[in-house]
Amino acid sequence: MVKNRLFFKQQLFLTKTAMAFMLVLFVFLPLTGAFAASESRQLIFDNAGLLTEQQQADLQALAVEYGEKRETDYIFLTVDDPEAGDVTRYMEDFYDAYADENTGYENAVLLVLDMYERDVQLASFGEAKTSLEDDRLTMIREQITPDLSSGNYEEAFRHFVKTADKYMGIRPGINPESVIFKLWFQLAVSAGIGGIVVGIMLYNSGGKVTVNSNTYMDPSNSNVVQRRDRFIRETVTKRKKPSNNNNSRGGGFGGGGVTRGGRSYSGSRGKF
Amino acid sequence: MIIHYKCPNCGDDMAFDSESGKLSCHSCGRKDTIEEFDDEFITTTFSQDEAKEYQCENCGAAVITDADTTATSCSFCGAGVVLADRLSGDLAPAMVIPFTISKEEAMAAFTKWCKKGRLTPKGFMTADRVKGITGIYVPFWMYDLNSKADVHAVGTKVRTYTRGDYIYTETKYYDVYRNIDLNYVKVPVDASEKMNDELMDKLEPYNYGSLKDFKTPYLAGYLAEKYNYTDNDLFPRVKAKVQKFIDSYISSTITGYSSVQYKNKHVDTRKRKSFYVLLPVWMVYYDYNKQEHTFAMNGQTGKVVGKPPISSGKVAAWFSAITGGTFVTLKVISLMLGGGLW
Repeated sequence: MVKNRLFFKQQLFLTKTAMAFMLVLFVFLPLTGAFAASESRQLIFDNAGLLTEQQQADLQALAVEYGEKRETDYIFLTVDDPEAGDVTRYMEDFYDAYADENTGYENAVLLVLDMYERDVQLASFGEAKTSLEDDRLTMIREQITPDLSSGNYEEAFRHFVKTADKYMGIRPGINPESVIFKLWFQLAVSAGIGGIVVGIMLYNSGGKVTVNSNTYMDPSNSNVVQRRDRFIRETVTKRKKPSNNNNSRGGGFGGGGVTRGGRSYSGSRGKF
Repeated sequence: MIIHYKCPNCGDDMAFDSESGKLSCHSCGRKDTIEEFDDEFITTTFSQDEAKEYQCENCGAAVITDADTTATSCSFCGAGVVLADRLSGDLAPAMVIPFTISKEEAMAAFTKWCKKGRLTPKGFMTADRVKGITGIYVPFWMYDLNSKADVHAVGTKVRTYTRGDYIYTETKYYDVYRNIDLNYVKVPVDASEKMNDELMDKLEPYNYGSLKDFKTPYLAGYLAEKYNYTDNDLFPRVKAKVQKFIDSYISSTITGYSSVQYKNKHVDTRKRKSFYVLLPVWMVYYDYNKQEHTFAMNGQTGKVVGKPPISSGKVAAWFSAITGGTFVTLKVISLMLGGGLW
């Protein structure tokens, strides 16, 4: 595992040198705004070589665009190395190294692919940890798994970024795919209420019946003469409590955790 | 035998006055208390065929009436006349609720009701095409009923609780028995062939506090009908009417259960008493769009019933307004939860 860490350090060192070089360029360029650093921050780490350069550039641009909106880093990390070890630990170590290098806000959402084991790990750090908790990450993971399985990695990451952005806007504790957010449901409920109310208005347009069972009853001479409520028997059925662990679906397991650098996160992991 | 009330003071025709509840003369203002009139015409029995044709006592013209009419106005001189032989013997009403709403008040109340119609066409709401408004004493049978109900049912109480890894559902079954004795008083059912049953049922309730012993002067100036159906003919209808009341009473006595399944429900309804009454109804005939619409108004409480014309445009407008409003509300809720607009 230490090896892993070193691997990252190296990786980041290289990246850093490249970035430093670019920074130098930028510094000497006039009219460079404060965004320069954030724009140049690398977010796509395609170690497994799944994406073309054009795709990497496109995804980097997408991640930057959405990242500024939510002040969150959308990181895409791939690895195809039998030595890389467990994907969760790999992700944790990567992020510790990444966060140490890139100070600023520590909100990040990660999509990590281990091509060797065909494991996918999603994780969210910082503020994103509460707005994208385990269940929401699992939902996103399940949505992108078909794309990942068919090798459509660019599309998977695009969907990941957009859906994560959407879910982060929805209050924690509410199912982001809840039917109340669906247009067809909202239309159906509205039309249903409209229909019922107008139906009642139509039904009552000719005058309502305003007598009830008490109108003609003589209360002093009406009563229950005899009543009996006798217990006969009892049946008891039992069923197993449904488990709340959604991660068991789709071959996934585990939720969030804490990295060795002490950063806690939410997560969802599965196969693709 | 025809009865015509002539003012002892001035000789003009007298009619029932809904405001004072007295027989009054509109010329000299004389008012006679009706309770003091004698019952001679009601208690005398006339032979069935005594009068085929009635002659107005006032002007001598022939009073042309429908076979069911018991009170009307002379079509020549306008005097209110009461056909006594159709109100005597078996046909004598026991009680009457006199009109408390005058023709003018009825008209005003009807206009107001038309304006309130949320789904009626604009042209109808002005209520300017009322063809006629007629005060009619409609014959009703009132029943005092006794119902005995014997009910067997199975009730369940369901409780769920969690112990360990399991959720337990415990269902307790109870044998439920009720023996109920119910008394209903003065349940009205209209006894006129001409009147729409549904319309008459919706006119209820009447305030029985002003039920009066029947006297012929109450009818002076109004139309009145005699019954076409006897109390025995209409007993099935009143039975069906109270059946709903009995069912809801029964279910109100079986409480505290998660579900109740009736095994058998035996209801025996018997008539204890029935009496013939006349109840006041204003009939309003309204021509709208070449169609006649009939409305009835409770002559005591002013409640209006009857199917008004429906404007499909207004129905559509209400539907879209409510649907649109609900949709916007749902969108706002979804926005507040962070769902975004689309």
